Amino acid sequence: MNAPPQPNRGSCLRMALGFTGALLLTACASTPPAPTANLQAAQQAIAAAERGEAARYAPGELSEARTQLVLADSAVTERKMVLAEHFADQSRAEAELAAAKTSAAKANSVNDEMKRSNGTLAEEMKRVSGDKP
Amino acid sequence: MNTTRYRDVILHRSLIAAAVASILLTTACTTAAVKPDGAAQARVRLTQLQSDPNLASRAPVEIKDADAAVRAAEQPELNKELAEHRVYMADRKVDTAKALAETRFAEDQRVVLTAQRDRARLDARTQEADAAKGQAATARAEGAEQKAAAEQARIDASTAQQAAASSEQQATELQRQIDVLQAKPTDRGLVLTLGDVLFTTGRADLKPGATDNLNKLVAFLDKYPDRSIAVQGYTDSVGSEDYNQGLSERRADSVKSYLTGQGIGSTRITASGKGRSDPVADNDSAAGRQQNRRVEVIISNQPTALR
Repeated sequence: MNAPPQPNRGSCLRMALGFTGALLLTACASTPPAPTANLQAAQQAIAAAERGEAARYAPGELSEARTQLVLADSAVTERKMVLAEHFADQSRAEAELAAAKTSAAKANSVNDEMKRSNGTLAEEMKRVSGDKP
Repeated sequence: MNTTRYRDVILHRSLIAAAVASILLTTACTTAAVKPDGAAQARVRLTQLQSDPNLASRAPVEIKDADAAVRAAEQPELNKELAEHRVYMADRKVDTAKALAETRFAEDQRVVLTAQRDRARLDARTQEADAAKGQAATARAEGAEQKAAAEQARIDASTAQQAAASSEQQATELQRQIDVLQAKPTDRGLVLTLGDVLFTTGRADLKPGATDNLNKLVAFLDKYPDRSIAVQGYTDSVGSEDYNQGLSERRADSVKSYLTGQGIGSTRITASGKGRSDPVADNDSAAGRQQNRRVEVIISNQPTALR
């Protein structure tokens, strides 16, 4: 009665140890690679926003996109690849927002200038016709 | 043996407890996974964008992306970091879609603005052209008017000059004639005094050689047929009044008949006798009496309408 449980317990312990080791190995082996594509996409989006003068029209968003990219790089260094991917994606989304806001601001400023010019023209005409009753 | 058995029981109990605990834990975690904070706000802003008639149709692809991102953010998520990431992405996608829609709306508006500007410019040019045309027409009209006025002025000046020259000439000629007659301008008109040398004392007929002055008068009346004359005879105070009156009348008539004999219409001549009235000199002296014996011919200033 005494003999059978002994080897039973020992094998249980070995199995548990083996399982844990396997889990650990699996964890190490399944550490994802750095999100290189996401990081590159974020860098390109920032560069595009910079080319579109986002520094002038959307400086807050551009700065935030750069911050997110720095955070992504730090996460890669800490081997937190999932986090790094999130930061990279956030950096890209922020850079794209900066570019979109820049183009909107430019378009609106062109329209404002046209409206002002039209107004001036109309005003001038009114004055000219007023001079000659 | 008892000890071993007791241990087994303990082991089993603890295994059950662990299982229960883990189940409890799992359940707890499941109930904690609610919609992440911020997802609702992203949804509100997306809905606003989708219901904006100016923007909704202008960025369909981006709005669809944003919608997917918001839906992902709305999923209950145990992983706090992942939930926050999804909300972050949803926020940015919504904002990006809005900014792009605004850009395209502004670009579309530009067509309208350009049309407005073109119309305003056209109006301005039309107005300028009209004004210029009006000014040109006015200037042209003014020019023509001025030219006509200048022409008229020249004609007027010329006419006036001619008239002036003519009237000057006439005046000069008349003056010359008057000078020839030795007539004196007076209030009654030009007065030509014919002395008593025309007549013998007490007689009314003209002396034969004394018609030179009268011939000058005939020439004058020939030249100015619209003038009429009054012939008035005067005497000195010697003799009765009746006699002198009769003598003065006969002498005036004598002059008149000489003039009519020279071809001057009798209607242009009135003859009258004034006797010894209106002496021009003192009747006490011979020289004075000689001056008073006279015939005055008064030539009317105004031409009579006898033509």
